[in-house]
Amino acid sequence: MYELNICHLYSDLLNLYGDRGNIIALKKRAEWRGIDVSVTNISIGQNFIPENYDIIFLGGGQDYEQEIIQNDILRSKGSEIKNAIENNKVFLCICGGYQLLGHYYKTHDGKEIEFLGALDLWTTAGNERMIGNIAFQCDVLKTDNYDGVVVGFENHSGKTYLGKDVKPLGKVLCGYGNNGEDGYEGAVYKNVFCSYSHGSLLPKNPQFTDHLISIALKNKYSDFNSLSKLDDTIENAAHDAVLDIILQAAGTKKNK
Amino acid sequence: MKKIRLFTAILTAKLTIKILRILKRGGTTLPGKIAMKLCPDILNKIAGSFKVIMVTGTNGKTTTTRIIAQMLKQSGTEFITNKSGANLVSGIITTFIENVSLTGHSKYSTALLEIDEAAFRKVSLSIEPDILVVTNFFRDQLDRYGELYTTLKGVKSGISNFKNTKLVLNADDSLCASLAHDVDKETVYYGISSEAYNAPDEIYNSDAVFCIHCKTKYEYSSRVYGHLGWFSCPNCGYRRPATQITCTSIEELSDSYSILTLDISGKAYKAKVNLPGLYNIYNSLAAAACGYLLNLSNEVIIDAIGSFECGFGRMESIDAGNKAIKLILVKNPTGFDQVISYLKTIKKPSVFAFIINDKLADGTDISWLWDVEFEKLSKMDNILYFFTSGIRAEDMAVRLKYASVDTELIVIEKDYDKLIERALEKTPEGSSLYILPTYTAMLEIRKTLSNRFALKEFWK
Repeated sequence: MYELNICHLYSDLLNLYGDRGNIIALKKRAEWRGIDVSVTNISIGQNFIPENYDIIFLGGGQDYEQEIIQNDILRSKGSEIKNAIENNKVFLCICGGYQLLGHYYKTHDGKEIEFLGALDLWTTAGNERMIGNIAFQCDVLKTDNYDGVVVGFENHSGKTYLGKDVKPLGKVLCGYGNNGEDGYEGAVYKNVFCSYSHGSLLPKNPQFTDHLISIALKNKYSDFNSLSKLDDTIENAAHDAVLDIILQAAGTKKNK
Repeated sequence: MKKIRLFTAILTAKLTIKILRILKRGGTTLPGKIAMKLCPDILNKIAGSFKVIMVTGTNGKTTTTRIIAQMLKQSGTEFITNKSGANLVSGIITTFIENVSLTGHSKYSTALLEIDEAAFRKVSLSIEPDILVVTNFFRDQLDRYGELYTTLKGVKSGISNFKNTKLVLNADDSLCASLAHDVDKETVYYGISSEAYNAPDEIYNSDAVFCIHCKTKYEYSSRVYGHLGWFSCPNCGYRRPATQITCTSIEELSDSYSILTLDISGKAYKAKVNLPGLYNIYNSLAAAACGYLLNLSNEVIIDAIGSFECGFGRMESIDAGNKAIKLILVKNPTGFDQVISYLKTIKKPSVFAFIINDKLADGTDISWLWDVEFEKLSKMDNILYFFTSGIRAEDMAVRLKYASVDTELIVIEKDYDKLIERALEKTPEGSSLYILPTYTAMLEIRKTLSNRFALKEFWK
């Protein structure tokens, strides 16, 4: 029997907007395939040993909570996280967690707050909150049966820009994405997947969830081939219903 | 000239109220908006002569306001209040306009106002209350309000505009209790004693893990739910303040009421809370603290807690032949979790219907559904069907599936008429259909229900 060990980093602090939904989706979809799943919460002051985990999740927090973890992630877990990333560990990082992996966050008054620098990207404070449903085209996920359109909800004011070493996760169809300027959303580097789409990103995009589980199992088991098929009627209905809402809203905007 | 402007604003708004009522359109906010356009400082002008009680916070405002209203009624105080949850600036102006003459005078001298926590700062610029009751601070509709700490700061800065206001604060909520910090105001704290209740389960949702003053992790000697409990900071010493209004023991938590011992400044009383759930105990304590500051007799306070009518959509019961429909508003994770704790007390075979909308008043981001512990419902074997409806019916269905609810029992039905028909058909005789809508879904489903059954019009 295959085992999948998930680590939720700073689960008591970075857990905004239903981030837990991503963990639940990973866990359930693995369990429905008969895979044995464990979820470990690691927070401030606790030892983080990446070798123990197959998927590592880093969510978003409020500014107040992000300040609290700043020191811990930079000084005590930083080098472990960087090593794990270079060793092809699977990461899913959302919103604040995404920003934390970059070089820095530049505040309104021009101060640069040092971040982890694990990924070649950086964020600057924006004046407007970018809020709303988002749809983006994610070619990595495209298969014969799936067009690779991911739906979610974004809520951020930070604008993130990618350096040359990271690729965007997708191309924005409707919404703001990384910075509301270049038309891209999220970032991919090795097996690290970053997105501004929070909370219910994975549940409504089952192909994305399966993609992460598959890479993690391939990393771990040489005999792993592919995941068995599940009945995704409800998930797909939710995905399509939101996509309809997004496209309709975009349509009315254009007509105005 | 100024008087004419006030007169015109009141007249126009009063006419608008009349027209909207004739059209059966509720009309709880539009008249206020019009009045504000015509006379921007109208609130300041007409509210000045009232003794004002304000209730704010993220959860429990409406119920707390209801209980205070019951206390005022029983003590023979005549008052005005914004009953139907019209709690933004426009709704508050409408409330006053309905109750003043064209010259801005009123026969009432007390105003009991439920104020939206995000609108509070704005209201604080025009009205200074005699008493401000704050219920709690939980994450709520973040896409509209921004972060929880921003909401808290807004209320705090509103309070700093007041000179003589007395505060009623929740001692068990580290965020709420912090409002008294650095302000020189008479404060009455309420809370549940650590002997009365300590949560048996692991607490999941936590909006305030770290000390608001020094960012050290709180220690708890007992917990109620969410971040509520006996907190203390091991670093700076900030801790749950002592309470004047205390629930010292809980004798019974049933599916329709609670029995507890209520200590009002040293005197103990047995009390029945006329709505179920721990959260309604907090609402009762908040109201009791307000009654205490109003110098109402303790008997009136206890009576009111045991007899108040529930608010719009808060456990409303509708007769449908020999079946019942129960409406319970849901709007944020902590509130929903409390409703789930209540639903778990149901023993009869029943049907649930979740109606989830994502309009502005509901919060356009529905990812909070993933912070609610629906997993607890999957363990109930007396729930025959889980219907989902509303704009985000499919999202709700996904959430239930991932909470291990059997997919055979999940039914998506977006048409409200068909929903009521199908769900009632599945409800056994003598049992209840529990409908759990978000705010705008509540307005919509009540319309559907009022076409079939006898319902009060919501502005009454």
